[in-house]
Amino acid sequence: MTRPLALLLLAAAAVATALLPQALSPFHIRVLQFFFFAAATAVAWNILGGYAGYWSFGHTVSIGIGAFSAAHFGLIFGHGAGPAGMILPVLAGGAIAGLFALVIAYPLLRLRGTYFAIAMLGVGQVVAELANNLPVFQGGIGLFLPSPVPDGMAPERFYYYAFAALLALCLVISWAVKRSKFGYALLAIREDEDTAQMLGVATERYKIAAFVLSATLVGLLGAVYGYSLGYFTTPSVFRLDFSLNMIVFALIGGIGTLFGPVIGAALLLFLTNVLLSGFLDIHLMITGALVVAVILLMPGGILRAGATLPWKRRAKKEASG
Amino acid sequence: MLLFLQTTINGLVLGGIYSLAAVGFSLIFGVIGIVNLTHGIFVIAGAYMAMALFAAAGVDPLLAIPLIGAVLFAVGYAYQRTIIDWAISRASVEASLVVTFGMAMVFRNLLQLWFGPDVQTITPSYSFDSVAIGPIRVDMVRLAALGASMALLTGLTLMLARTHFGRAMRAVAQQPLAASLSGLNVRRIHGLTFGVSAALAGASGAIIGIVQPFSASSEVAWTLNAFIVVVLGGIGSPAGALAGGLVLGLINAYTATYVSPALTQAMMFLVLVLMLLLRPQGILGAAYGESR
Repeated sequence: MTRPLALLLLAAAAVATALLPQALSPFHIRVLQFFFFAAATAVAWNILGGYAGYWSFGHTVSIGIGAFSAAHFGLIFGHGAGPAGMILPVLAGGAIAGLFALVIAYPLLRLRGTYFAIAMLGVGQVVAELANNLPVFQGGIGLFLPSPVPDGMAPERFYYYAFAALLALCLVISWAVKRSKFGYALLAIREDEDTAQMLGVATERYKIAAFVLSATLVGLLGAVYGYSLGYFTTPSVFRLDFSLNMIVFALIGGIGTLFGPVIGAALLLFLTNVLLSGFLDIHLMITGALVVAVILLMPGGILRAGATLPWKRRAKKEASG
Repeated sequence: MLLFLQTTINGLVLGGIYSLAAVGFSLIFGVIGIVNLTHGIFVIAGAYMAMALFAAAGVDPLLAIPLIGAVLFAVGYAYQRTIIDWAISRASVEASLVVTFGMAMVFRNLLQLWFGPDVQTITPSYSFDSVAIGPIRVDMVRLAALGASMALLTGLTLMLARTHFGRAMRAVAQQPLAASLSGLNVRRIHGLTFGVSAALAGASGAIIGIVQPFSASSEVAWTLNAFIVVVLGGIGSPAGALAGGLVLGLINAYTATYVSPALTQAMMFLVLVLMLLLRPQGILGAAYGESR
């Protein structure tokens, strides 16, 4: 795609996003608001999981830390009023999620593949348990965040724009990472970490940077998500299904691609929230079955489906051999 | 001193149950080389089956173990021969991790639809009896649970060491190619390994049902426990699972008594990370380590 055309499309998407709430019901705005949030977490997950190939099964830990940190920041330094008042707590949420990632990065990133994935699953469980059971964190009784929505604006619209902006931020960062030296180093790590290291790529440093960047973005999102809830307890932010969604959205759309996680999120949320909204109790089953189906039928995700569908692969194999 | 002894006994009893719950996971990890995130589901499914049998026909959970084991053996075999085998042959071993995660969600949802989301317990007639050894008391259920766990672990060890099937399983674990060249049907052995693993998980579930409360969502905890046990003890052997399970049980009991019951998971996880960093092959080492 030529550059002017891409810019034109981006501008059109931005205008459409800005104008869309005028035409939609509050329910649909809320669905889109959640879509922006979920897609943005998946884009952030993809920086570590997709580019570097380190699949975290517990990334919701950053959502939880972000939300908890924002609320505690407010408790300690006072909650600001209005939209400007949420800026500092949200930044604190992102920073603390990033710091936490920095602390656990060194030991955990020495693990590879399955071991890293499950260790992160454990991190998610343990931090949630600590947040819930240690009185200092107040996860058991719950935490409040004051509404930052300006007077006269519907809350769903405010969060719609907030999450849309964050999704744009995540996409820009993910794009910048992908085309930089940093991004190429991550790809080298994904393809063959030992060789990359041997060739002089500072794998350790790049992995930690990707982990911290990814966690910081998810932390920011988690803090804003905390605001959108207003009141939350441990299970409302440390949610296993959030961890899973990040993986699933990236996987279904195309792991390691820029827009894959967004496409995956759009497809899956449309399916579960709109088409199957009457079957709330089987959402988990549908998500699980879809994951299995995607892995078995098109392991590269939708964006790469052309090359990986079983019959195409067979044709290719016959052609080449 | 008495408290310490009592805590130690509790930890060892708990550890025996952890060992049984993890040994199947360890077997699949060792023989087929995949991490089965559906493992906790088999454990919880065993517990629910024991509960249903106890409620419907008054069958004691420990006596229901053969039936539960047989049913889950069939489920595990069918599961490996279809979904797991497809995932490994079409995608990759990492993809099989995600596939088992997805299947765990499907099964968890099914269990929730079937049995409801509430926390359940099974209370057989001997629930409130206990045995006194000097001043130390052990609950009857825990003692029965430990006895059943040890019997099953011994059975598995003997099967692996003495029977034709056990030898075939070890051969496939060490060198799949050489095993198939010697006339073993590797795919069938993989399926049977999954069956044995699911049956053992189900048996441990029946035992867990009488000792601890459970619900469909506790499957994650049992999968994680199994993983920790395997990392602690070493992959692939019943002895490794036993060592890992006992250590985990002791850590759990000491933390609950001397630190805080709220920190048991955190402590178990801390030990896991330390172990992965300091001795990644586990206390006893991987049973089939040379080949992988």
